Amino acid sequence: MMLRLQVLALTALLCACSKKQEETPTQGSQAPSTAQQPAKKAVPVGLVIDVGGRGDHSFNDAALRGLELWAAGKRYEGGKYVDAAPDEVRKSLPAHLTTLATSLQALPVQPVVLQSKAQEDYIPNLQLLVDRGAQLTIGNGYMLANAVRTAAQENPQSRFLLIDSQVLDAQGKALKLPNVRTVLFKEHEGSFLVGALAGLVTKTGKVGFVGGIEVPLIQRFEVGYRAGVKTTKPEAAQTLMSVYTGSFNDMAAGKQVAQDLIAKGADVIFHAAGADGIGVIQAVKEARAAGKSVYAIGVDSDQSHVAPDAILTSMLKHSDLAVYQAARDLVDGKFAAEDQLLGLKEHGVGMAEVRVDFPGKAEALQKVEALRQRVVAGEIKVPSVPADLASFQAPAP
Amino acid sequence: MLEIVTRLLFATLDAAPALVFAALGAVLSERAGVVAVGIEGMMRVGAFCAAVAALTVPTPLAVVGGMLAGAALAAVHAYLCIRWRSDQVVSGIALNLVALAGGTFLLETHYGPNGTPPIQQLTAWDWPALSSVPLLGALSGHAAPTYLALALPFLLQALLTRTPLGLRLRAVGDKPHAVATLGLSVPALRWGAVVGGGLLAGLGGAVLSTTVLDRFEQHTPAGLGFMALAAMVFGRWTPLGAFLAAAFFAFGNALRIGLASSAPGLLELVPQGVLLALPYVLTLLVLTLQGQRSRAPAALGVPYEQESR
Repeated sequence: MMLRLQVLALTALLCACSKKQEETPTQGSQAPSTAQQPAKKAVPVGLVIDVGGRGDHSFNDAALRGLELWAAGKRYEGGKYVDAAPDEVRKSLPAHLTTLATSLQALPVQPVVLQSKAQEDYIPNLQLLVDRGAQLTIGNGYMLANAVRTAAQENPQSRFLLIDSQVLDAQGKALKLPNVRTVLFKEHEGSFLVGALAGLVTKTGKVGFVGGIEVPLIQRFEVGYRAGVKTTKPEAAQTLMSVYTGSFNDMAAGKQVAQDLIAKGADVIFHAAGADGIGVIQAVKEARAAGKSVYAIGVDSDQSHVAPDAILTSMLKHSDLAVYQAARDLVDGKFAAEDQLLGLKEHGVGMAEVRVDFPGKAEALQKVEALRQRVVAGEIKVPSVPADLASFQAPAP
Repeated sequence: MLEIVTRLLFATLDAAPALVFAALGAVLSERAGVVAVGIEGMMRVGAFCAAVAALTVPTPLAVVGGMLAGAALAAVHAYLCIRWRSDQVVSGIALNLVALAGGTFLLETHYGPNGTPPIQQLTAWDWPALSSVPLLGALSGHAAPTYLALALPFLLQALLTRTPLGLRLRAVGDKPHAVATLGLSVPALRWGAVVGGGLLAGLGGAVLSTTVLDRFEQHTPAGLGFMALAAMVFGRWTPLGAFLAAAFFAFGNALRIGLASSAPGLLELVPQGVLLALPYVLTLLVLTLQGQRSRAPAALGVPYEQESR
């Protein structure tokens, strides 16, 4: 009886949790000070971020950067927006995007961000943003695909941007809606580069991969990474250890997995595991403190600041750019519903600056850069699904 | 082979303490008849306060601060459930929600969404004499909570089954009126048990932010409190049982991770999802084989009223 009561209690708790959501206050009256046309009224742009939350140093933070810092010229601090310093946008740009700095002008948009605490929050959150007059509503993450479909069909006058997934119908087939733009990334291409670097850096000849939930999206990271390692260190690709934590918000799980990989000799670990990845970085940091030479590779955003010594580089995924472009197109009246696929060539993915020193750094970076150019030129086709991995022939240097 | 087993044991000992402490806290509270759904919230408060305290005071002291914070939240629970005889499940859930939202709020207003700044972790103790011995080597290289988590279940078991106080605590959970006829205060005993449970849950939370990680992160404890409740039920409301159950969960998890990384070929036969379910499948299996009904304290969840019969 008591057991049942407790199960009921847990269920009740879960339901109760789902009702709760965090809301970012907005400052309706303030137009962005750096806006080019201060006379124009700020357009509300909504963003629903996934359960990983603000501050994951990764996927959500990238989208937030695109909307808040790049598009609106604001910084979120202590629960409200403050104007960002003029050079902050430039500082947030990785080296290969600095050419874009001049074109990243602040737009007259006003960010409205809602965080989802549970999957049941997606649809109400999207609807709330539409009801608040958001002209563009962004769903950040593949988990929101169904919610965006529902919201877009119910609000044909509103526009939506869906990151990381196409709109899928009930059977899981891709669907085109006249008011939804979708953006997919070629994560495998960016992962290919960091994999190539990992192969060049490893001394033990063993590298690891930590994934979050095993879905095709995260598999693209793993497959690209494997292909990269195979290109620069074929024997390490044979012994590559890959473990999925099964979550995106459990740092302890990420740490435990990374500790296990380090104990088994891995000295470069790439993670695509959201907040779990912070645990991976923590494990690497502790192993370094214990005298082991180990590196972690971050994901989605440049994670170097989490542990400057321990982060070799990061696989960048520019959902920030995709969000910015959508906001710009909206302001310019050019927003079109389309399916975008962004790879290395389109600056959709990339590799962050390598800020740590290791023997042979310059040479290794040259090799990776050469590989990048060949991927951009279409010479190297990076596999994206596990089935294609076996037939992938490592390109000759 | 021995190396792999040692490795597994080490990972288990490293990951288990938070769960063990929380499960013990739940046992203590529930044996005295007060439902402990609020464990998750107490852990969160403990984790948060320990991390914040560690920014200014030495970490061991901060852990004590985390324990006290957990006890403070438990005291609210005790006040509502014992003094005002409110529904214990509702009170526990309310505390969980307050801790969840309050933690996020305070974090964002004071430290930003990225978690608290890094703090000094509890130091791990290396015992060179042990670390070269196979199997026993797994005992070396942990921080203090691990060793405490190995000793505390036995102490608590002794307290509950071998001392007059333990008898009274168990009695208020089974038949509070009988305790009252002896002239003992049922509310006082229950208060003690609930606050004691809060201390332990707070310790569990503090372990998460000072040993597992080096900061409070917004998702902490990510459902571990509910795992602790499961361990308590699985361990049939006894400290040793809850300890074994918690260790079992941790071991199952370590086994899953170890399998995935040491036998890559296995993953081509068995999907990762099956491995992820492994700890839970093991639990179900053991529960099935165990065959007996679990024995909850008879007066669990029933507010004590002097006048009632």
